[in-house]
Amino acid sequence: MPRKVDYGFRYEDDNYDVYEDYDYDYADDYDYEEEENGIAPVTKAKQEASRTGVWRCPICTYDNENSMSACDICGVLRNPLVKVNNKGDTAAAAFKFDAPSPDDLVSNGLRSVKSKSKGEDSRGRGTNFLVESELAANGLVSSSTSVTRERHNGVEENDSTSGSGNKPETFNTRMDTESLPSKSGKARSIIERKTESISQYIPEKWMTPNNKDDGLSQLNLAIVGHVDSGKSTLSGRMLHLLGRISQKEMHKYEKEAKQQGKGSFAFAWALDESAEERERGITMTVGVAFFTSRKYHVVLLDSPGHRDFVPNMISGATQADAAILVVDASMGSFEAGIDAIGGQTREHAQLIRSFGVDQIIIVVNKMDVVEYSKERFDVIKQKLGTFLRSCGFKDSSILWIPASAMENQNLVANPSEARLSWFKGPSLLDAIDSLQLPERDYSKPLLMPICDVIKSQSQGQVTACGKLESGAIRTGSKVLVMPSGITATARSLERDSQLCNIARAGDNVTVNLQGIEGNQVTAGGVICHPDYPVQVTNRLQLKILVLDISTPIVMGSQLEFHIHHAKEAARIVKILSLLDPKTGNTTKKSPRCLLAKQNAIVEVVLQGPVCVEEYSSCRALGRVFLRSSGRTIALGIVTQVIKREE
Amino acid sequence: MKIVRRDIEPDGPGSVKMVPEEADDLWVAYNLIAAGDTVMAVTVRKVLREAASGGRDAERVKLKLEIKVETVEYDKEGSVLRIRGKNILENEHVKIGAFHTLELDLHRPFVLRKVLWDSLSLDTLHQASDIKASADLAVVLMQEGLAHILLVGKSVTTTRSRVETSIPRKHGPSIAGYDKALNKFFDNVLQAFLKHVDFNVVRCAVIASPGFTKDQFHRHLLLEAERRQLRAIIENKSRIILVHTTSGYKHSLREVLDAPNVMNIIKNTKAAEEVRALKDFFAMLSNEPARACYGPKHVEVAHEQMAIQTLLITDELFRSSDVATRQKYVNLVDSVKASGGTAHIFSSMHVSGEQLAQLTGIAAILRFPLPDLDDIEM
Repeated sequence: MPRKVDYGFRYEDDNYDVYEDYDYDYADDYDYEEEENGIAPVTKAKQEASRTGVWRCPICTYDNENSMSACDICGVLRNPLVKVNNKGDTAAAAFKFDAPSPDDLVSNGLRSVKSKSKGEDSRGRGTNFLVESELAANGLVSSSTSVTRERHNGVEENDSTSGSGNKPETFNTRMDTESLPSKSGKARSIIERKTESISQYIPEKWMTPNNKDDGLSQLNLAIVGHVDSGKSTLSGRMLHLLGRISQKEMHKYEKEAKQQGKGSFAFAWALDESAEERERGITMTVGVAFFTSRKYHVVLLDSPGHRDFVPNMISGATQADAAILVVDASMGSFEAGIDAIGGQTREHAQLIRSFGVDQIIIVVNKMDVVEYSKERFDVIKQKLGTFLRSCGFKDSSILWIPASAMENQNLVANPSEARLSWFKGPSLLDAIDSLQLPERDYSKPLLMPICDVIKSQSQGQVTACGKLESGAIRTGSKVLVMPSGITATARSLERDSQLCNIARAGDNVTVNLQGIEGNQVTAGGVICHPDYPVQVTNRLQLKILVLDISTPIVMGSQLEFHIHHAKEAARIVKILSLLDPKTGNTTKKSPRCLLAKQNAIVEVVLQGPVCVEEYSSCRALGRVFLRSSGRTIALGIVTQVIKREE
Repeated sequence: MKIVRRDIEPDGPGSVKMVPEEADDLWVAYNLIAAGDTVMAVTVRKVLREAASGGRDAERVKLKLEIKVETVEYDKEGSVLRIRGKNILENEHVKIGAFHTLELDLHRPFVLRKVLWDSLSLDTLHQASDIKASADLAVVLMQEGLAHILLVGKSVTTTRSRVETSIPRKHGPSIAGYDKALNKFFDNVLQAFLKHVDFNVVRCAVIASPGFTKDQFHRHLLLEAERRQLRAIIENKSRIILVHTTSGYKHSLREVLDAPNVMNIIKNTKAAEEVRALKDFFAMLSNEPARACYGPKHVEVAHEQMAIQTLLITDELFRSSDVATRQKYVNLVDSVKASGGTAHIFSSMHVSGEQLAQLTGIAAILRFPLPDLDDIEM
């Protein structure tokens, strides 16, 4: 199911807005191509297109005429890699060491871009210039890897327009530029990756999953809801019922909880492990637990419900594929939760939706307190349902489950309680099984935002935890850790405290890193493929949707910027334009301020650099949340990464 | 600031002899001294003297110099004011016309002579000499892994220290790591706290954070004080206040100053006034956008229509070297006051002043709505 991020306000909103458009153009066509056998999608597209006299640009899917060797819209060169053998590389690259003379640059540019009529000549020449000067400046030679050769050969087969001897060199220089980060190996200036290189990435055989593996796939489930609605207790119960927590451990928790006077929190203690959390009876950071249902390996992300810990909840929920929203059925508590000012039910639901999660299970907890009354359930269902619809959840993807975590009703088995017999739907476990897995990007380069870093003093190891957003990793593979820019090796992988060899997109794993210092890996960083470094910057252009706010956003407003697991203080430097929510067109340039429920394009400057990607290339790394004064004031996506100010 | 002697004609030339007593006063002096004024002070200069044998001997001599100011620099971190200019006083060691940089220190008197003392400078002078209670608040603004120690003064807010560590999340086996890292973080913050917070100078210390970090830190602070017998903290236990904010970043200082128990203490001070004025401006901007405007052009247009009720302006705008611009703003402030409005001059070293500076540095709340302003380019 393609992920749709919908920000519509109306109930009957059927026309998805601008974010939808993004998806449509980039993801759908792209995915289709990737799902075919693992050969370069580029080649396949060309095969099709060359038959009809037009070729389709793999990036923006625009149909260009055959005579054009660069895309009209985005400037992507058509046949990027047409090199025959490795030795040629070295020779060619070495030649480029001395700053190429202006003549060379110009003539290379002229020859490599075929068509002269359209304006993209200059664009094509422009990129060549940039590439060569970069190479000259850095002066590094690349040694092509076997993957490169594969790529070269693959593309060459369908090459019908290349001919100039110079072209391979020029394109090679781009290849060289890409492989620079792995060469540098030390923390230095971050090389910017050309956007077109993603299309040249061919996933290796072991990266795409095959059926020989364990049949169950991993599902990341976030549990959110207002404070004290019973999230941690519910999680603890589920773990206990599914055998993840032994009876002995449960006894221990119960005993200790009673000792501290918090007997009712016994199950929650399975998730809340630190002394602070137990003492105060709340969850402060996201608790991760694993269990197995009939269909999936489920990773449970138990989030804090307290207002002050929403940043932690964002960090946890960014890994989620689906969510469970827990509401307290008792009189007054539900109302408090859904209250516009203080209630977290609203804020969590909005945040969850903006993470691209469209499947949600609503667990109406503490039904035992309201005597399992159907009326109360219906009232809650109706009130919350309207709100969820306004957030953009479709009725068909919401499941309603009344349950009681304390009394163990309707969790893993159908309710035994007589008063709950009016409920004919599935139990919670069945509901979890009925969830669909979203699409996983197996064939894109490795990207894993780091959620947590554990430094073990005893063994001098550094371990990073997180969920892989795209690509795959296996023991022994080289990875690049950003923003420090250091290459390390993955010594071992662990999933659910068990060693494993391969982890793919969608898996929540712990990676043991070798060859790196503890202070060079930080939560909020990203582990990526050495040849495809993620962009690091402190200046961004965002498209945002402003939520209900009391103070308008003006130039110079100081906010907190949250993106995957990173957070920074940020400042709005420019408000570029206001957009029409339905059409996405610019309605007003440089407005004075932004009020509630407006769409706009703004530019922000962050206090420190973060790893980002544009939303169109990677969703998880392009989603942004802006908070201020303890409330989320805007949701956004990264439209442009502006070069980092030195 | 102690004014020793004052000899001024309003809107005319004059001289003032003053002694700065605290860092704030240097900031005031920075705002007062402009290019073209003359400053006379006692300073040290390296003088070359011919010794009998013919060799040059460098000697540091204390002299009284009067220089005509060319540039003024304020060093935030070191709280030093440097004035560079040409010497105009006859002196045995220094020729007239020679360049010299005067460094104004605390507790050293200096004389400032100006050609024109406008209303603004007189105001500033007056405020400086007022022995009003100064804000003088020490604030520890923190969140898990990040802490700022700030000193909020009368007209200046300085960041004394910033502590940042990465604290791992709690995950089963690494719980011990979390506790250890947290304790180390608190230790660092405590060290910085002891170093920069002097209870003789500040009236109270505020510990602010989202969540429970402040309680944890407070507990840690008191325990350590008991253990290490830190008298400064033990005696002033009652002067430590806990406030809830939504983040540990510097801009949350606004929320600290807004908190009721802190507001009581700093009620009459400039810092509190500024925060209030800015809050009013934002409230107006969200409720009735046509009655609030910012940016020099918009404010000018509004002023022409006599629409300004409250003017908010940062002192940075007055410090421009261009005399004409300065004059323009001074006139603006004067005329607003004359027409019955109020003018707030924000110190750009305070959090609210910084925010106003981000917002072009000048803003106004109007008496009546002016919807046409939107059409005018900013």
